[in-house]
Amino acid sequence: MSEEIILQTRALSKVYRDFWGRQKVRALKGLDLEVRRGEVFGLLGPNGSGKTTTIKLLLGLLFPTEGEALVFGKPASDVAKNERLGYLPEESYLYRFLTADETLDFYGRLFDMPSDVRRQRIDELIEMVGLQKARKRQLQEYSKGMTRRIGLAQALINDPELIMLDEPTSGLDPIGTREMKDMILRLKDEGKTIVMCSHLLADVQDVCDRIAILHQGELKELGRVDELLKVADVTQIRAKNLSVDCQQELRDVISRHHGELVSLDNPTTTLEELFLDIVRDSEARPGRRAGVK
Amino acid sequence: MVVEQQLLPYFQWLLTGGENSLGALPSFFFVFLGVAMAALVIGFAIAASRYGILRGGDVTYKTVSEGLSELLQTAPRRVWAIARLAIKESMRRRVAVALGVFFLVLLFANWFLSTNHQEPARLYLSFVLTASTYLVLGVALLLSAFSLPNDFKTKTIYTVVTKPVRAGEIILGRIIGFTIVITGLLAIMGVGSYIFVVRSLDHSHTVELESFQVVTGPAGEDAGKKGTTSRDAGHRHELTLDAEGNGETTVENGHTHAIESIGENKYRVSPPLGFIRARVPQYGKLRFIDRSGAAKDTGISVGSEWTYRSFIDGNTPATAIWTFDNVSDAVDPKPPEAERSLPLSLIVRVFKTHKGVIGQALQGTIQLRNPESQLTSEPLPFDAQDQQVDDIDIPRKLLSQSRQEIDLFKDLVSKDGKIEVLVKCLDRGQYFGFAQADCYIRHPDGSPIASFAKVCVSIWVQAVIVVSVGVTISTLVSGPVAMLFVVGFIILGFWRQDFVDIATGKSYGGGPAESVVRIATQANVMVQLEDTLLNNLVSGFDKYFAKPIMWAVAQTLPDFRSFSTVRYAADGYNVPWDRVFQDVTVCLGYVIGLSILGYFLLRTREVAK
Repeated sequence: MSEEIILQTRALSKVYRDFWGRQKVRALKGLDLEVRRGEVFGLLGPNGSGKTTTIKLLLGLLFPTEGEALVFGKPASDVAKNERLGYLPEESYLYRFLTADETLDFYGRLFDMPSDVRRQRIDELIEMVGLQKARKRQLQEYSKGMTRRIGLAQALINDPELIMLDEPTSGLDPIGTREMKDMILRLKDEGKTIVMCSHLLADVQDVCDRIAILHQGELKELGRVDELLKVADVTQIRAKNLSVDCQQELRDVISRHHGELVSLDNPTTTLEELFLDIVRDSEARPGRRAGVK
Repeated sequence: MVVEQQLLPYFQWLLTGGENSLGALPSFFFVFLGVAMAALVIGFAIAASRYGILRGGDVTYKTVSEGLSELLQTAPRRVWAIARLAIKESMRRRVAVALGVFFLVLLFANWFLSTNHQEPARLYLSFVLTASTYLVLGVALLLSAFSLPNDFKTKTIYTVVTKPVRAGEIILGRIIGFTIVITGLLAIMGVGSYIFVVRSLDHSHTVELESFQVVTGPAGEDAGKKGTTSRDAGHRHELTLDAEGNGETTVENGHTHAIESIGENKYRVSPPLGFIRARVPQYGKLRFIDRSGAAKDTGISVGSEWTYRSFIDGNTPATAIWTFDNVSDAVDPKPPEAERSLPLSLIVRVFKTHKGVIGQALQGTIQLRNPESQLTSEPLPFDAQDQQVDDIDIPRKLLSQSRQEIDLFKDLVSKDGKIEVLVKCLDRGQYFGFAQADCYIRHPDGSPIASFAKVCVSIWVQAVIVVSVGVTISTLVSGPVAMLFVVGFIILGFWRQDFVDIATGKSYGGGPAESVVRIATQANVMVQLEDTLLNNLVSGFDKYFAKPIMWAVAQTLPDFRSFSTVRYAADGYNVPWDRVFQDVTVCLGYVIGLSILGYFLLRTREVAK
């Protein structure tokens, strides 16, 4: 991760008003953020916390009431920033009467890409998101997962430096969720900067380097995920093949040193891991009941 | 007649304008400047109310400066991408249904249209072209007003504006896309209409042999035959054949037929000729001499409220005089030089104060005069048929009033190419009515198909303006509101002159506020309102607020009625190229102006909610 700041907000605030200019809701209050090149940054918070508003302000879809949002050092309202930016909205807001090919061709043209470059890029992306067989079908025939994938493809059509993902795993099944997360990590490996917002904590924890937690439009926490999650006054011991005697001995040692034993038991895997293991096993041995350990 | 106002040559119209009007280009810049200044003031006021005066000024400045630089960065590929999207969207929205409706209308049109009419071509052409106009305008309205609002509603606009697309490209691309759709629709409707008219008017007759009367020449030789055709399509023609049995029929219902002998007592009658024409008139300037012999700008009024035509009284010195420029024997260059004539067309509006002789047309005379030497030809009599276009070919060899043989082009045309045409009415107590466009030199007809295509261009121009307005206003408001706005725009455009007359105080009854008072108090427009405080306030409001705003709005309104060239085709006149170029230029002005306006409207609104 470099120190180059890709995205910055300074006392960014947004007040939604009604037709008569009266204040309806203060969606964001004085947000200060910096996102550096190459990191995966997560905006975390419950519904209505201001995550999507922040993304929309950074994209120039909304105008700030106060403060400013800078992308690549330029105001968010500057259209030129979009040359280096990709955006996957919460729902894939795409033209449903277009096919996947036509969709990517349309967005490619919006980047003023020459025909041959566009053609090549479309083929790459269609293959990357696994829609080769459905590329000639209209999007209105697509499942939710397929729509998300073509949505991601359109966000990557220009090979962007900065990718903004609004609830990227929303509506995806566990496999789709994992694929999306893998994709985010792959993009990170390619040196892309990614800003995502989500209220699914596990997703954010799995892929983000740093997170900002918002609540009621205010920044409540900001930092590296591993540091934020670290519980400083608890020590974790993980070991395999310990006998009952050995476990008792450990309890005695902790007690001798006036420590408080919180738990000493066998760990469980996550439900996501269990599900994925079952699916993998089922695909490897179709027709048989999965035997996951 | 269709040309009621003088049509200026294109470049004169564009740059300098006429006697009482500014050139189109300077007018455009003045209006553009006015709208820009108004937009700047309103924009600053809104920004200042939101952010305070200083920051509001900064925001306004940045919006304008960035906007101008972005306008220069318009990329054709992006514009074309949006245009293609608009075309696909139109197809998805079943725009082809309009074609189905159109052909359905044509299928049932023959129930209501009759070929048994004095001028069936006028009836058919008016119908199909008017139907095409309304359908195309309707499609333009629906496509343009709902497209962008639908993108906002479905949020697909999010994925577009987060690409490096300038707001102007979104506007221009949509205008171009919908224009292409409308062009396709109009092309199909135009071809369908033309085929429909030609096929509907097509008919033939047979020659009725029992009606033949032999015509003999001066020496008693057989000079041919006279007779009639059979009665078909509600009419029959008189016919004249030469000694070989070939000839043509008289004009009935606006057409003739050629007749060819194909054997003994066997004749082939051609399909109708001259139904659809594209006359190319050269207009002169009209002035009058009244019954006392005094020169006047207009004739007398016979009580008609429409002052377009004025009248001369019969059997008096009253004369209508047209002066034509650039007259030479090259007007109709086909015949040999010695046989060339001056083809004139004359339309007479007959006003009778007594019934006269039943079945006998009123008589008039035509004389030609050299405006320099005042040499005048002997009067040529003609029968006046009310509101009919009478084609009169004035022969080259004429007699002067002193009965000396004179040459039309050498003796009656002045050195600078001018000639005067004098028309009088001979019947006492009867009147002939004329307008400037009622007498013209008839150049060889243009192509009816080309003229028909030019009428379609005028419909296209109206549709493109509607599309531009629809797309522009839909950046700001929802689809139904945008549609209502455009409908209002079209209605105001069709009645622009009335709107201007109210704004400038030419109409009786005051402005909008005074009208409300008059409606509420049941005072008609001719009644003077009482001198009360309320009435004075209302009049003041109209005078200093409503009317100036109406006047300003009127400057940006297109005169839709003046765009329509349907009457050219219906009346059988060629649509002049100057007219086509002027209309297309106006259209281009609207597209440019509205694209810029649309750019700023879209640029300054929040796309998301």
